[in-house]
Amino acid sequence: MASQQREGFSVPASISHAALGQVTTKSLGVKYNCAQCASSFSLGKNDAIRCKDCGHRVIYKARTRRMVQFEAR
Amino acid sequence: MADSEDVSMVEEKVEQTEEQEQEYDLEKIKLLPGSSDDGTAASFQIIDEDHTLGNAIRYIIMKNPEVEFCGYSIPHPSENKLNIRIQTYGNITALEALHQGLDNLAELCTVIEDRFSEKIEAGGYKTVEP
Amino acid sequence: MGDNIVGIEYNRVTNASSTDFPGHSSSEDNSWDIEKFKDQFDIQISYITERTANFDLVNIDTSISNAFRRIMIAEVPSVAAEAVYMFMNTSVIQDEVLAHRIGLIPLKIDPDLLNWVDKTQDENERYTEENTVVLSLDVVCSKNTHAPKNSTNPKELYKNAHVYAKDLKFEPQGNQAERFKNSPVVASDPDILLAKLRPGQEISLRAHCVLGIGSDHAKFSPVATASYRLMPVIDIKEPIKGSSAKRFQKCFPSGVIAINNNGEAYVKDARKDTVSREVLRHDEFDGKVKLGRKRDHFIFNVESTGAMSPEEIFFKSVRVLKNKAQYLRNCPISQ
Repeated sequence: MASQQREGFSVPASISHAALGQVTTKSLGVKYNCAQCASSFSLGKNDAIRCKDCGHRVIYKARTRRMVQFEAR
Repeated sequence: MADSEDVSMVEEKVEQTEEQEQEYDLEKIKLLPGSSDDGTAASFQIIDEDHTLGNAIRYIIMKNPEVEFCGYSIPHPSENKLNIRIQTYGNITALEALHQGLDNLAELCTVIEDRFSEKIEAGGYKTVEP
Repeated sequence: MGDNIVGIEYNRVTNASSTDFPGHSSSEDNSWDIEKFKDQFDIQISYITERTANFDLVNIDTSISNAFRRIMIAEVPSVAAEAVYMFMNTSVIQDEVLAHRIGLIPLKIDPDLLNWVDKTQDENERYTEENTVVLSLDVVCSKNTHAPKNSTNPKELYKNAHVYAKDLKFEPQGNQAERFKNSPVVASDPDILLAKLRPGQEISLRAHCVLGIGSDHAKFSPVATASYRLMPVIDIKEPIKGSSAKRFQKCFPSGVIAINNNGEAYVKDARKDTVSREVLRHDEFDGKVKLGRKRDHFIFNVESTGAMSPEEIFFKSVRVLKNKAQYLRNCPISQ
């Protein structure tokens, strides 16, 4: 588990885009879920904050699948 | 070959359980200060016991005609300790009274267990709630 | 009234504690005698169903009966979820609350099939197939595309909108599939609601179940209730007749008091009485009736949570008390 990379966040392959002042359209892979239609998608930097399927403007950031332990008490 | 191995394993297991049964907690019960020199009056402290054992053992020790007094107390509700005081008329020691009480209690449990299984086996009771 | 009857009066109880000890009375011996106990002690079983048992222990002291009651609640071991590993929970119910609810679900697991977790061992080696049962819960809610039009019922509109205890699935580890083949591991009550979901929400978790006792946490208690009451006694001192008898009858639950051919009230079944003391509120019956309870007659009611049969739970409570006595008998006494 420890060696596994944190889901939802991937280290950018290079930082040269920022250094070059280029606008990158590469998605960071952060997933969002639509509050209305439950569809899952990711957003680019300049994308409007809306669902790509139904256009609903309320979206949630998806939870990671990282395991969390609880005491059943 | 396989058979002999099985047998030896069984023997090992038996030995293990016997060993486990011989293990007793040295801290479970201790003598409290305030006992008489002849041992006919003494207080004991039992760890990790409560009213369940305390009241039962008090009852059965009080049933002993050699015992003058027996009482128990949980000195503090958030400490899992049970204090028990025994005073005898002098023919037996307090420790003997405690041991007799524990033997009697175990014996009593055997009677109840046997009687209950007798009644279960005999049947004759309803199996639906009235 | 006899000395083994607790008197129940308008605003007080009398004669509540037992006095059957040597030296208390000159006429009776009262010292402990196992043979005498064997002769006098009696068990009457009223009924035993899958979940409940009702039986009487007669001629036994409160201290012993109460020990059994307390042990059934707090010291007979049973299995419950202890650790919950949450992979995903996007439901509206919080992780820790969901974990708590899963812990409280009664499981149909024979406690004799598991060993105790050795707390002295290293945490990584503590849990083995011998002492832990793994359950998994994986549900995703989605829209039901075939839902009837205009329906507002979540059960029709969505799939898996309700998560129940029956959705917990057994994940056999090692030889467990073989060991538990005669008694599949399930929740005792399949229809306990754990969470509600809406489309897109998901629960995915693993629950590790271990042996424990009720004094550690109520989830380990094998009984829903284990209680006793004392046998009621109704002593009619003067005849109660005619319309008075009818009113007398109404002071008790039905079936307790009957009226004979002469129109006189008599006690038909005192066991059914709740000892509500209603009869003591009426001046009409003042001095005509005495209420009481037999101090050494216990009517037990044991309700199992489903892992064991109720009679087995009582058996185990007797054995636990016996083990306590025998263990302590052999313990060395330190200074």
